[in-house]
Amino acid sequence: MATIKTLFNKCQILKSKTPLLSTFIQQNGMSQYPTYYINPIYKKDALEALIKSGEDQNLKHIPTRAALNNQTCSTAHDDLVNLFVNYVMKDGLKPLARDLVAQSFESVKRLQLEKYHKCQSEEEKAKIELNPKTIFYTAINNCKPILHLTPIKRGGVRYQVPVPLTDKKSEFLSMKWLIAAAKEKDSTVRFHLQLARELIDAANNTGRVIKRKQDLHRQCEANRAYAHYRWS
Amino acid sequence: MLKTALVFVSKRKLSFSKVKYLSPTANPQPQEKIQSFRSVEHDPLKHTYNHVGQFYNISKEDRNHLFNYGGLPKTYLTQAKTFNETCVMIRQPTIDVIECLKNIDYAKPAVRFVIYGKKGSGKSLSMAHILHYANRSNFLVVHVPWVGNWMRRCQEVSNSDTKEGFINLNVDAAAWLLHFKTQNSHLLEKEDLKIAQDYVWSKREKTEKGSPLLDIVNHGINRIKFASDCVVIIADEIKKLSNSGVCKTLVAIDGFNAFFYPNTRVFTEKKEKVHPHKVVITEAFLNLTKNDWKNSAVIVTVDEIAVAEEDQISHMPRYLLGKEGFEHLDPFVPIPMENYNQKEFKSVMDYYRDRRWITPYPGQDEEVSALSANNPYNLIKVCAPL
Repeated sequence: MATIKTLFNKCQILKSKTPLLSTFIQQNGMSQYPTYYINPIYKKDALEALIKSGEDQNLKHIPTRAALNNQTCSTAHDDLVNLFVNYVMKDGLKPLARDLVAQSFESVKRLQLEKYHKCQSEEEKAKIELNPKTIFYTAINNCKPILHLTPIKRGGVRYQVPVPLTDKKSEFLSMKWLIAAAKEKDSTVRFHLQLARELIDAANNTGRVIKRKQDLHRQCEANRAYAHYRWS
Repeated sequence: MLKTALVFVSKRKLSFSKVKYLSPTANPQPQEKIQSFRSVEHDPLKHTYNHVGQFYNISKEDRNHLFNYGGLPKTYLTQAKTFNETCVMIRQPTIDVIECLKNIDYAKPAVRFVIYGKKGSGKSLSMAHILHYANRSNFLVVHVPWVGNWMRRCQEVSNSDTKEGFINLNVDAAAWLLHFKTQNSHLLEKEDLKIAQDYVWSKREKTEKGSPLLDIVNHGINRIKFASDCVVIIADEIKKLSNSGVCKTLVAIDGFNAFFYPNTRVFTEKKEKVHPHKVVITEAFLNLTKNDWKNSAVIVTVDEIAVAEEDQISHMPRYLLGKEGFEHLDPFVPIPMENYNQKEFKSVMDYYRDRRWITPYPGQDEEVSALSANNPYNLIKVCAPL
């Protein structure tokens, strides 16, 4: 498409009308797909639900993008875990990030099973959560802050104003804090092991990340007098 | 001690059966439910083809006795620690070897078994099971946990005094002697294992003819300088003892092909690469794997991991052993280790679920089976984050 445009430009025909040409061709940034392509539905149950409700008929003839290589129909695939992997990732080293998260899930299981086998009675054993994904979800849920502080300038003074967070933002913060806490360790301790410990701690509503959340909430509480600066 | 324990058990059983219960409710119900993946029989002497695919438990005493200084792979050890028990699957090739060991005519020359298979298919654990069997049936066990530890990551190197141009691996040899001593402690304490000739170590040190084999072992452990020579002498003496019918011997060597792989990581002081045949302890184990003696059986594994990564092309014995090694072992009984079949795979997954290692979800077995290609080691890796 770009070549066609440059060709037109060179020939001085339609030079003024290039934007018009663009709308016609529907170029979508650097993407190889035009804007009218829809995202694929790659999960089996979502697809079945669509077929059941009959909505698949509407999508049948709309051109669809190919699924990304991390989007699988495996039942073990999880969106939130995938997002977390992306947050762990550095320099685009996705296989490494994926391995780290997988290893930390393994460590979670090993730590929990160790506790499980130490328990004497059945009741104590039943209390221990062994599913790493459940622990991961509870940990992230427990670490989500409700408010945070933003600097707002009023009368030449910057005030730290408590502001409510959207769900997405607070989820991001909770994941970011978990990763930051896992990185804060001795050089002899592996990242995945520390992350596992943090996840277990957070799932039990204890630990450094929970403390960080509570500290933020405390500061917000202290600065409640500035809360009206949000709108006035 | 074993005998007394057995008597004790049988007595208890007798007294148990004599008790009459007046009502059916007083009769204690067996608490454990029957699990198809768990074997009822935990004694390797009684394992048959009926138990294939099931897990059996190695007791803590046996494990400390046999595998205290190596013999179980590291991945398996972490797994055993998390599961709080040392369970090994009974597999077809293992039972094949055990049945053979039961029926061999020990008056004939030693039979050599070569276990081979792809990486992570369970060769070492199969070996561990056979060792457990051998230990129970009173074999003298000569077990090398991993030859790669000597040829590819040895601890200390020195020139041999007794042999010109040869190399001693002192620390490794002494460690092996300790391993040998713990594995055969119950046999070595008996009086009948005696050496057939005098050995003069130095002007003052000497082991006389007729003193127990344990003396040489202890000498090697205490005087590390002579450890390698001790290993060679012990191999020789064991051969003589077996030939004269004093003991039955099982030689088990894991990663045997490392003895024939020239690209070692053992270096002399001049940084020259040492061929495995120039290492003193190699001689002992090559001597033991010949078939010029009786009252014995030899089991070796050939493994891709024992050679350098660039040479891991095939897992077949002919490639790994090379011409020389193959001719050294020929004729042998090849024992292929395969990946899990359907039944074994189901059993492992049930075991994992029972140990609460994986959380079940619909379609799990098919998916995991496809991802791991039914390879035991891959299966551990795939199941880890589930």
